[in-house]
Amino acid sequence: MARMKFLCDADRCIECNACVTACKNEHEVPWGINRRRVVTINDGKPGERSVSMACMHCTDAPCAAVCPVSCFYTTADAVVLHSKDLCIGCGYCFYACPFGAPQYPRVGNFGSRGKMDKCTYCAGGPEDDFSTAEYEKYGRNRLAEGKLPLCAEMCSTKSLLAGDGDIIASIYKERVMKRGYGSGAWGWKTAYKETVSV
Amino acid sequence: MTTSDQKLDKSVMDRRSFFRAGGGVAVSAAAAVLPAQEAAAAEAPDERTKARYKETDHVKAYYRVNRY
Repeated sequence: MARMKFLCDADRCIECNACVTACKNEHEVPWGINRRRVVTINDGKPGERSVSMACMHCTDAPCAAVCPVSCFYTTADAVVLHSKDLCIGCGYCFYACPFGAPQYPRVGNFGSRGKMDKCTYCAGGPEDDFSTAEYEKYGRNRLAEGKLPLCAEMCSTKSLLAGDGDIIASIYKERVMKRGYGSGAWGWKTAYKETVSV
Repeated sequence: MTTSDQKLDKSVMDRRSFFRAGGGVAVSAAAAVLPAQEAAAAEAPDERTKARYKETDHVKAYYRVNRY
């Protein structure tokens, strides 16, 4: 069974934010919420790196582990989804998530939060596929249409990869072999030191 | 109030019984509508977790162009 994954090739990301814009437009994401964002470190300095971040659809998702109402579920494609009907907007998942993926709409002037919103891997939610209710709550269900997440599909530098984990890993490996230097993955040098090459 | 007036009032339906009857109608109408909405909205547990990814021509083209 294919396992859906995102992989951002940080050597290719140019911080154009097209993935962020595409996601917001495709799903009509509410004002103030970004399901995807581009993080840049050492901005304007040598060694600047950008990486596009969203929900990484963890295998053992910490958000699901801490949810008091068990609103999360994992599909057979390994996509982590949630039910906005069950969500109480408590914010526990935001603290548990290592990627800052869960987002909350502001529903009042006194800090009250609405239902959690996050990347759905363009796979909709618990409502019927292609229903109006599904679109209004979670956005378009591109996976059921036989497509992949729009952020990855329209990435101009082909930095953001999405799809079957095995296939995108092989694509990434080909790139690294062709470049002939490091993996470009964050933390590589911390973990394997400067002396270790690919 | 005379006896005939009292008889007339009972036959017309007084204010309290009118609202009681109205409330009952509203509750039964809501009960009839709610299950229908839920059935339309929610997927069965097996259905919602089933695999939706398919390696269509669209997806294959995506993999191909990403190898450049």
